[in-house]
Amino acid sequence: MKITIGHLFPDLLNLYGDRGNIQCMVQRLRWRGIEAEVKAFGIDDRIDFSVLDIVLLGGGSDREQMIVCNRLKEIKDSFKAYVENGGVVIAICGGYQLLGKYYETDNGRIEGLDIVDIYTVQEKGRLINNIFLQSDLFEMPIVGFENHGGRTHINNNKPLGKVIYGKGNDGKSGYEGVVYKNVIGTYLHGPLLPKNPQLCDYLLSRAIERRYGAEASKLTPLPDKEENEANKYIVDRYSDKVENFKEKIRKLI
Amino acid sequence: MNLRGKIAIKTAKLVASLCLKMGRQGVTWAGLIARKIEPNILKLLSDQVREKVYIVCGTNGKTTTNNMLCTALINNGKKVICNRTGSNMLNGVVSAFVLATDKSCDLDADYACIEIDEASTKRVLPTLKPDYMILTNIFRDQLDRYGEIDITIKILSESIKMAPKMTLVINGDDPLSVSLAKRSGNSFITYGISEKVFDADENSEIREGRFCAMCGAKMHYSYYHYSQLGDYRCPECGFSRPHIDYPATGIECGDHLAFTVENRRISANYKGFYNIYNILAVYTAAAHSGVDMEGFQTMLDRFTPENGRSEHFKIQGTDIELNLAKNPAGFNQNINAVMADTRDKDIIILINDRDQDGNDVSWLWDVDFDRFGEDSIKSITVCGIRCQDMRLRLKYVDISSELEPSVEKAIRNKLQNGVKNLYVLVNYTGLYSTRNILKRMEGEQ
Repeated sequence: MKITIGHLFPDLLNLYGDRGNIQCMVQRLRWRGIEAEVKAFGIDDRIDFSVLDIVLLGGGSDREQMIVCNRLKEIKDSFKAYVENGGVVIAICGGYQLLGKYYETDNGRIEGLDIVDIYTVQEKGRLINNIFLQSDLFEMPIVGFENHGGRTHINNNKPLGKVIYGKGNDGKSGYEGVVYKNVIGTYLHGPLLPKNPQLCDYLLSRAIERRYGAEASKLTPLPDKEENEANKYIVDRYSDKVENFKEKIRKLI
Repeated sequence: MNLRGKIAIKTAKLVASLCLKMGRQGVTWAGLIARKIEPNILKLLSDQVREKVYIVCGTNGKTTTNNMLCTALINNGKKVICNRTGSNMLNGVVSAFVLATDKSCDLDADYACIEIDEASTKRVLPTLKPDYMILTNIFRDQLDRYGEIDITIKILSESIKMAPKMTLVINGDDPLSVSLAKRSGNSFITYGISEKVFDADENSEIREGRFCAMCGAKMHYSYYHYSQLGDYRCPECGFSRPHIDYPATGIECGDHLAFTVENRRISANYKGFYNIYNILAVYTAAAHSGVDMEGFQTMLDRFTPENGRSEHFKIQGTDIELNLAKNPAGFNQNINAVMADTRDKDIIILINDRDQDGNDVSWLWDVDFDRFGEDSIKSITVCGIRCQDMRLRLKYVDISSELEPSVEKAIRNKLQNGVKNLYVLVNYTGLYSTRNILKRMEGEQ
């Protein structure tokens, strides 16, 4: 069995340890005896989506996103067909914003891929901090770090999770990320996948199921002590804060 | 000094000594109070410096470069003001001048060597007008504090505009620094390492500058040192490594460093390729500003990087080297320095995520830790607030590590059970506490 991961424009979209997400997927496949290949695409490379099982679209600065956005127009249709056909996509931060219709920045509008019916508007002040979510996809919380000036509005789409601590999509709705077919978009880096092995395995299993069928997609469990403890550290650290805050409110009332 | 300035200085000194009595560093407070009483204090005092005022900026190497320059000048019998403690924001800079004044509130100084945090340049340069700015390099740093690298470059270029007569001392191997200098309109001089030192294996280290800062095209490197540093040329717009005024050649880089500049052979008894740049930057600034360079090597022989930069300790028969590693470029350079030592060794890595460290630890995944997978590394212990993240990072390059949140326990453990050769790599807020622990242990012997 072999899974091919397409890393889109790592030359430009490589903020915040995106490498770690690739490393995480590759290792978790290899540890299970599944072959993994990573294809890193440059901005001028032709992309054949039919050979890809997972696509990673990372984050970049606004300037870099603008360069990428011009290229994305040319691959929009094939990217969209890949998604509609159940292709797995993990889009983070800037990549998440590019999934939508547009990203309205102070320096103009960046046209998105229009793969998911969402849009982003830049507002004053960046949302920067550790964050954790409860997703209905997994029992284990999703932890990460957010750092974004854009506020993403996901309309009627399903969010990735409910924000327990942190800001999330727009700092108001109480939700973070988006899930559409086999696409996950999120502001969480840290990087995202190593501390969230449940989410990594979810992506892997969706990709395997699509190419090799449901039977093959049942993944062997891995000894995830280090992953779970790193995840739990963030949850514990901020659960206390959430509890203390609730306690204060209770006392006030 | 005018009356208002005198009151400012006297009050600031009083505050500093009170803080010291209460066991706290009063540097920031003293600077703040002096400024509040006499807003022009920095200009008034820096105008009293007889010869040159140098400032040192850049992502990595500020403190070492600044302290070395200061030592070189003192070695020539000069009187120098320096913010040695690394208090490099506006109040720390003001404080360095204020606390150096004599009883009549005047300065007796030939030179000033001041390191400034890049983000603080826009607050310092309106009043301080330096003769030289040494810009060591521009690398990706704590993204949650400084924002993307583009933001740092923007702040620096706006600050440089405030001091049009200041000469920039630029690392010519760094396309980001060079493009900044070219755009600034200020005069600039360059230093660089003008030969191929490493085999050109494509490593995956983040290279922010690999796209041309002038036109955005992908650049070609004929040789490449680390991060984005090397001999670069943009095939589209022709932007390229400029003429190097102070080129270093004949590089030796192993358990000691050596190179030739201006027909002088320079050697230093510490490790780390990046230290060649630090020494070269100091050499360039000093030589260009007319300092007598005869005693440079003697100074270097005596200069010990302090404040936990390649600082050496010998405790209970164990050689310990403490070093600051706070961003991918710096950490990768540290790994180079560690791996240049072929003896068996133990490693301790301390990672905190306090505000000064950056709350975001994702940069750990941009460091090439796989290179620690060699047999000469006998153990790795991970410490600090984010030791869990560090352990996980190593797991994904198939390296196992011991988890011990307390660095003191980790060090004591390796003194007892280690291979007598220990490297301690820490990020910013762990530096002073770890150094204090090591100093204390040294005293216990």
